[in-house]
Amino acid sequence: MYKLLFACASPVMLRIDLASRVPVYEQIANGLRAELVSGKFNPGEKLPTVRTLAINLGVHHNTVAEAYRQLANEGWLELKRHRGAIIRERDHPEAGPDTMERFTRPLRELVAKGLADGLSPSSLAREMIETARGLEERTSP
Amino acid sequence: MTHQPLEIQVIVAATIGGIVILNAAILWFMPRLTRPDLYFAVTVPPGFPNGPDGKSILGRYRKELMLVSVLALVVFVAGITLLGISFGPAGPLIQTAAGFIAFYRARNRVLPHAVQPTMIREAELQPYTRIIPGGWIAASGPFVLLGLCAGYFWIHGSSPARGIIYALTMNVSLIGLTVLLYGLAHWVRPVYSGGPERARELQFRRTVAAVILGAEYYITIQSLWLLLVPPHQGLISLGLFPLALIFALVVIVVLARLGQGGSRLAPPQKSATTSGAPVGDRTADRYWKLGVFYFNPDDSAIVVEKRFGLGYSLNFARPTTWGIMALLLIAPLVAVLARVTQFLPKRV
Repeated sequence: MYKLLFACASPVMLRIDLASRVPVYEQIANGLRAELVSGKFNPGEKLPTVRTLAINLGVHHNTVAEAYRQLANEGWLELKRHRGAIIRERDHPEAGPDTMERFTRPLRELVAKGLADGLSPSSLAREMIETARGLEERTSP
Repeated sequence: MTHQPLEIQVIVAATIGGIVILNAAILWFMPRLTRPDLYFAVTVPPGFPNGPDGKSILGRYRKELMLVSVLALVVFVAGITLLGISFGPAGPLIQTAAGFIAFYRARNRVLPHAVQPTMIREAELQPYTRIIPGGWIAASGPFVLLGLCAGYFWIHGSSPARGIIYALTMNVSLIGLTVLLYGLAHWVRPVYSGGPERARELQFRRTVAAVILGAEYYITIQSLWLLLVPPHQGLISLGLFPLALIFALVVIVVLARLGQGGSRLAPPQKSATTSGAPVGDRTADRYWKLGVFYFNPDDSAIVVEKRFGLGYSLNFARPTTWGIMALLLIAPLVAVLARVTQFLPKRV
């Protein structure tokens, strides 16, 4: 009997929305970065190859390659030809003078969008606190 | 021109006629075997196939299908009677073309009801190991059998030209099927990335892989049988032709019980997407040319689920697809050319 066995580890999912105005490669990079920051991957572990991830998401492989390059430039990944992307041990960079500004501006825009779409300020605040707390717990030694 | 014995003509005609009738039966039930959000290769709202419009379209499709199938059968029988058994292979072709017309007309009636499928895509991030148990040993079996046959001819020195041609065409054909098998493991874009839907999808994929491997063995054994059985025992050498019909019938029943992508294994569940849009097969309708040919240059997947049918189709925008097609088609073309040029001895 000819069988294909797909032995899966605990599933960590990447979700993108092709209808979003955010470019797909950016969505992929953002999603991967969120998982990397949350500590779901250890240094030395492998991510799916560019082709595999592109096939599974139904996008062009250049799109995934661009996202991987972006993360490699940020120091998250080490890209090796035909071997996929390997997660690197990354030093915590020092925040620059404009880092907080680059963070708070899109955050404010996002909160404004949430409020405009009908979310209550308290639910937004709760969500942000929970997210930050969760990340803090996962990344603390 | 040599004429085949009557018994052989009857067996071949009955087998081809059976294939024509089987084809009509498949097309009759096919609209109910696809994924629930797809109807005649168009993404539709959930529940549309069971609504009044859906039922009306299905009724008209089946009436037209019955009409064109009867016409095709009449043409097939008349052709066999007037032109002889050589007209036989035209039967399934006529039936398929006629069935496609009925499908295409039904699809045009569904298109005004089309909706945009979900644009949400998910993928697992942790790379998973794909294991094919006994895979390469099992997959190499047909090639080993061909090698043994070639060795037999070499030792006995009988019909070397015929043996070499058969072995070469068979090898190319088998390589094509083996590439397809590899593609099922590595080049398929899953519709669901988790949950029970994914488990059902994998079960369906495993079944299709087993069918392809079974077809490889069947083709090899049949060809070796035709090579090794002396030509004058034509009736015996034909013994495997009706088996093709039985093999096809078993495959269809097994796949029909699963439904496309395993969708009939359990009642359709609400998709995990947040948009509420139907999932379908997560491809936009515009990429399906005539409803059956997938052409999407922005999709890296080479193998995708068929929208109207059971099994998988190829993404014709990928160069690899054309390589696979060449491998699969070159063997029948060489066989036909060899036959036409009288290179091979006349056999049925």
